[in-house]
Amino acid sequence: MKVYDGSQTDSPAQSSPERIKVGIAEYKVTTEPAVLTTSGLGSCIGIAVYDTRNTVAGLVHVMLPSAADIDGGNHAKFADTGIEALIEAMADAGASTEAMEAKIAGGSDMLDFSENGSSIGSRNAKKVRETLEEHGVPVVGEDLGGDHGRSVKLEADTGNFVVKSANTDSITL
Amino acid sequence: MNVDIQSLGTFNQLAHEGAEQATQSMGQMTGIDAVVDVTKITLLDRADVGEELAGRDFVGVQFSFDGVLEGDTVLAFDVDSAGTITEEMMPGSSDDEAMARSGIEEIGNIMMSGFIDGWADYVGATIDHSPPEYIEESGGDVLPDAPENGDHQQVFVFKSEIEWIDESVNFYIYMLPEYESLTEMMMDHVDTDGDAIPIDKLQTFNEMTTSGTQKAADNVEMMTGIPTESEVTQISFAPIEDVPKQIGTDTFVGTVVEFTGTPSGYLMVLFDEVSAINVAEAMMPIEMDSDELTDQHKAAIEELGNIMTSGFVDGWANVLQTSVEHTPPRVVHDMGRAIMDPLAAQVGQYQEHAFIIDSQMRTDDIEFQAEIHALPNEKELRAALDDLDVERATETGADVEQIFK
Repeated sequence: MKVYDGSQTDSPAQSSPERIKVGIAEYKVTTEPAVLTTSGLGSCIGIAVYDTRNTVAGLVHVMLPSAADIDGGNHAKFADTGIEALIEAMADAGASTEAMEAKIAGGSDMLDFSENGSSIGSRNAKKVRETLEEHGVPVVGEDLGGDHGRSVKLEADTGNFVVKSANTDSITL
Repeated sequence: MNVDIQSLGTFNQLAHEGAEQATQSMGQMTGIDAVVDVTKITLLDRADVGEELAGRDFVGVQFSFDGVLEGDTVLAFDVDSAGTITEEMMPGSSDDEAMARSGIEEIGNIMMSGFIDGWADYVGATIDHSPPEYIEESGGDVLPDAPENGDHQQVFVFKSEIEWIDESVNFYIYMLPEYESLTEMMMDHVDTDGDAIPIDKLQTFNEMTTSGTQKAADNVEMMTGIPTESEVTQISFAPIEDVPKQIGTDTFVGTVVEFTGTPSGYLMVLFDEVSAINVAEAMMPIEMDSDELTDQHKAAIEELGNIMTSGFVDGWANVLQTSVEHTPPRVVHDMGRAIMDPLAAQVGQYQEHAFIIDSQMRTDDIEFQAEIHALPNEKELRAALDDLDVERATETGADVEQIFK
C-alpha cells in the first residue's frame, strides 16, 4: 500500500497539484490536494472514494468482480477485495468511514462476446455497488456501461471526478 | 526442455521487483518520482530486439554479468530524460558533458547493482557483473547484440519500462541472458510438470505466427495494392493486469474477434487513426472529402480486419492441425488500452498470467502501420503446443512458408 503524505519527496514546490498515477489492479491513497488518475478503463471500473472533511482520497482500478472466483493474486484486481483494501487504507490515513463518498466510472460492455449471461463490465458494476453498500459508502456519482473506454481523474481536495472518453467531451461527476 | 508457467511468472516478478528497486535507488538520489510501468518476458527473433526503440537517441550504461546466469543488461535513458536526471542530481551538470556522463554512470551503477543482486538473491547463487560501461547510441543499437543461440534465431529478453510521474519520458531496463544459462535456470525452478511448456515449441509457434502475419500482410496488399511487409513478431508473457499496458493510450481503429478451437482467445487488428484513414482510402474507389474517420472508412477497416484475421488464424490452424474459428469482427475505435482491457479481463477470469502474441506490419509507400495482438487462453495454448509436432515443423524449417500456402 502506498500513502502519499508529501513527506517522501523533496522535489521543488510545484504550482500544479501532484499527479498520482494508479495502474490497473492498483490503489493509491493521498492526504494531499493531489490528483489521482487512471486510464484505459474498458470493462474495468475506477472507484474514487474521498473524505473531504479529513482530506483523504483514494482511487482503485479493479478488473474483475470477485476474488472468490480465482485463486490468489493481488487484492486490488477485484472489486470486492479492492474496495475493502482501499477503504481500510484510507481509514489508516485518517479518513472516517461515515464521511466517505464514492464516485465510480467504467464497466463498459464493449467487446463483450459472451452470448449468454452478463458482461464482465456489468458484473463489475454490480459487485462495486454491493461492496460500497456493505461498507456504508454512498455512491454520489457514476458513469457506467456503454460501449466506450474511459480515463478518470479524482481531485483529492474537492472530490471532483472527471471522466474522459476517447470520442466525447469530458464530464465532471 | 520445458519451462513451467509458474517459473515464467516468478521470473517476470523478479525482473519487475529488480526494476522497482533500481527505480527507487534513482528516486533516492534524484528526488524524481518514477514508477515501473510494465515488465515482460519476450521471446523474439534476435534481429528484432530493440525494434521498439527505433528513431530515438539514448544514453545509458551496460553491464555484462556471469555466474549462474550469463548475459548483458542495459539501462537506457532517452537523451532528454538523461539530462533532466543528471540536472536533478547535480545542478548545472547537464551543460558539462563529462559531469553529465559520470552522473549517468553513477546512477546506472547503483540502479543496476540492485537489479542484478535481486536475481542473485533469488537463485541463491552468485552473479558477478562487470563495471558499468557508458553508452550513447541511436535506437536499438543502444542494446548489446543479443547472445548467440546455437541454431536458434530467437532470444528471451526481459524488459521493464519505467515512467516518470510528471513527465512523458520513459526509460528502459533490458536484460538479455544467454539462452542456455537462462533455460537451465528456468528448468531448475520447474516445480510442476503439469503446466510446463516446451521452450522449443514456443519458438516454433513464434515462427508460425510470423508466417501468419505475412499471410495477413499479403491479404492487405491484395486488397489495397499497397506492398506490405510483416515486421516484428514476438510472444510475451506478463501478469494479466499488465496486458492492457502493452498497448498505448493513443486512439486506435480496428477489429476484434473471439476465436474458438485450440487455442481459443481474442485477436485484434489495430491501426492508428492516420493509418486507418490511409489504408481505408486506398481501398475505396472514390476520393473522400474529409480527413476525418467516417463510417465508410470504418466499413473498409472492418473488411480489411476480417481478411487479416482470417489469414492469421488460418495460418495457426494449418500448422497446429486444429480447427480455429472466429466470430465476425467487431469494429472498435477507442483508446488502445481500453480496447485491450475487457479482453484481458475475460481471460483473467481463468488465469493470472497471459501470453500475448504481437506482430506488426508496415509499408514504405504511405504512412501505414498495423498491429496484430492475440491473447490466447493459456491452458489451451499449452495443449496446442503439446500436440504440435516440432519434428515436423523443424523438418519443414524452410517450409513453414509452405504450410501457409
